[in-house]
Amino acid sequence: MQESAIRFQPVQKLRELVARRQPGYSLEAPFYNSQEVFDADIKYIFQRHWIYVAVSSEIPEPGDYVTVEIGKEPILILRDDDMQIKAFHNVCRHRGSRLCADEKGSVGNLVCPYHQWTYNLAGKLIFADHMPEGFDLSHHSLKPVHLKNLQGLLFVCLADEPPADIDVMLEQMGPYIAPHQIENTKVAAQIDIIEAGNWKLTMENNRECYHCTGNHPELTISLYAYSYGFAPKAELAAGLANYENIVKDSHARWEACGLPSAEIEKLSDVSGFRTMRMPLDRKGQSQTMDTGSACKKLLGDIKDADSGGLSFWTQPNSWHHFMADHIVTFTVLPLTPDTTLVRTKWLVHKDAVEGVDYDVANLTRVWNATNGQDRHLVEESQVGVNSTAYRPGPYSPYTEELVEKFTNWYIGRLGAGLEQG
Amino acid sequence: MSSVNTHPDTHPQAADLPWWQPGEDSTLQCVQVREETHDVKTFVFRAEPPRRFHYQPGQFITLELDINGESVNRCYTLSSSPTRPDRVSITVKRIPGGVVSGWLHDTLRPGMQLNVLGPSGEFTYVRHASTPYLFLSAGSGITPLMSMSRALTDLASGADIVFVHSARSPRDIIFRKELAQLASSHATFSQAIVCENRQGEPEWPGFTGRLDAARLLHMVPDLMARQVFCCGPAPYMASVRQMLQDCGFDMQHYHEESFNFAELATAAPDAAVDEISASSEGGGFNVHFAKMGDDLSVAPGQTVLAAALAKGMRLPASCTRGVCGTCKTKLLEGKVDMQHEGGIRQREVDQGFFLPCCSKPLSDLVVDR
Repeated sequence: MQESAIRFQPVQKLRELVARRQPGYSLEAPFYNSQEVFDADIKYIFQRHWIYVAVSSEIPEPGDYVTVEIGKEPILILRDDDMQIKAFHNVCRHRGSRLCADEKGSVGNLVCPYHQWTYNLAGKLIFADHMPEGFDLSHHSLKPVHLKNLQGLLFVCLADEPPADIDVMLEQMGPYIAPHQIENTKVAAQIDIIEAGNWKLTMENNRECYHCTGNHPELTISLYAYSYGFAPKAELAAGLANYENIVKDSHARWEACGLPSAEIEKLSDVSGFRTMRMPLDRKGQSQTMDTGSACKKLLGDIKDADSGGLSFWTQPNSWHHFMADHIVTFTVLPLTPDTTLVRTKWLVHKDAVEGVDYDVANLTRVWNATNGQDRHLVEESQVGVNSTAYRPGPYSPYTEELVEKFTNWYIGRLGAGLEQG
Repeated sequence: MSSVNTHPDTHPQAADLPWWQPGEDSTLQCVQVREETHDVKTFVFRAEPPRRFHYQPGQFITLELDINGESVNRCYTLSSSPTRPDRVSITVKRIPGGVVSGWLHDTLRPGMQLNVLGPSGEFTYVRHASTPYLFLSAGSGITPLMSMSRALTDLASGADIVFVHSARSPRDIIFRKELAQLASSHATFSQAIVCENRQGEPEWPGFTGRLDAARLLHMVPDLMARQVFCCGPAPYMASVRQMLQDCGFDMQHYHEESFNFAELATAAPDAAVDEISASSEGGGFNVHFAKMGDDLSVAPGQTVLAAALAKGMRLPASCTRGVCGTCKTKLLEGKVDMQHEGGIRQREVDQGFFLPCCSKPLSDLVVDR
């Protein structure tokens, strides 16, 4: 009984932590720095929910692949000969070697570098040298991973039975994203940052703009201050009303152009998400230093450069900004309790020519700066929550409601996982 | 209690031995060097490890020699007959200044080992069986025709063969005694020799001067009914073609072994004319490995990978049929016929890549290995 008692202890402790979480407050320190919670996060959050990992235009042609690791699960996402996108465990059925070690590449067939076991793009083993007569290739196909393609945003799920409500997101978000035609984009730039902080600190930081005024001079050039959320004050009422009118007028204009704009908020769903097309300030075109377009070629069906920014947030690990001329997309992947990979990709029209239609430095300037600032904020938070003096603090009901929705979702899903085992 | 010497080293049990395969890498051990004339030697080889030699009379092998630290490949037709499958031989005339023939004459001794790629070539009577033959040769061009003669007589095929050989002088006649022996012991084999001069043998009773149409018709009155196989220096073969055309011969029945005088450029130009130095027509293409610096010749029907492996090069490869793509290589120059099974993408081909395992050269190649 000694052994089971040892195993039981952390789960009990986790359940206690979950049970005593105080709504409206940040999480207790172990959620940000303990190995037990991290392991539970991987098991119950990242291996049981739909995780945003890549965009379809990274793998434009048959045989193109990208790899990603969720916890210790290496995953391969590739486009097959019928232009369909598939995901597999990136693990050879021979002796387990990772099949594709590169982050991206192209293959004819999938060949294990170790002993050249060869799989076709459907994951079927088609060649294995030196195996005895009677060896049945068909019994050693690659193990598939669930994949959903939301108009070019690729989500994978490692659960045997993935959350079915992903279909709600696909159905409701499809019309919002479709006009931007991710399939007809290319990755103009990608930057991976490893933040020295727990992944939830990264996500919580993303879910509020309370910190924006004080920290993001580049980002706030294009953002209306009123979109951040404010505590009601008499002197702000007129400005806020004005902003609300701008939103109303903009939405009417964009909707007329076939760009769905209204807010959808489903952050409490198992496959939680939220979206809204928001006006941008000044020229109103793009998240750039002068708020003008960063790329001369507009995306997909969009005719008007002044189409604001469609923001899309997903639980537990992504956010995206779709503008008329480019898309910025973010993936958050936990590495250890206090390190997190933040992967940012900038997409432009696939026919846009670098140096002619767009300049990478200009395209990436705002979010490179913002990412650097956010990284600093997250890392400082990590230092602080590691202190014995740290106690959960209260969220602003006006500017941190999305943080609360994130932590509520997280606590709910973790609790559900612990119950299910 | 066997009367046959079954010592494995000298006469292995044939049934236990694998066969020599075309395009396959082998190591040959020199077991005998025979002096045929003052400047012609026959080098006899056995396979190491033991194999049975399987080839068509008239085919050539490619020697891979390391001469003064330089890798040299040179093709020689086999003078031996496949009817005696335990040994092969090549018969080589020393060319003054000739690097390869000189090395063979001066250096190759019984016990030494060579790498060879073989056998290959289309110059053989095998496709034209059951017809009367006229074998025409000059100098060391006699070797493929001697191989054919030995095979046909060994098999007691009853083939009707007239063998007309041209030599500079009586002392330059290669296989002189054996030709006479074949003629005396096979009713359907006849031979005639034409010497340019009688030097060294004033009593030479045969033809002197050069072969011409009148002399040929005199020696072979039924010339028109025969399949002609011709091998010798280019000027000799050109004159034979002219003679035959002058006679109204149907050139569809004419077959010749053409030579590549690769050594000519670096050797004495005049003397090298007689060097039988390289492959036959359709004898394959050269592949240059840009990084490794190796060169190899790919036989007709052979893949680049097979040729490389046969030469002992160890290129990354696995499936050998275009599935896995392990051998994928940039093709810097040349064209190939590639029959892959999904191991490479069209856009990779468009970028200049190919799979050596399933590609046969359509020209000389330069590859990025």
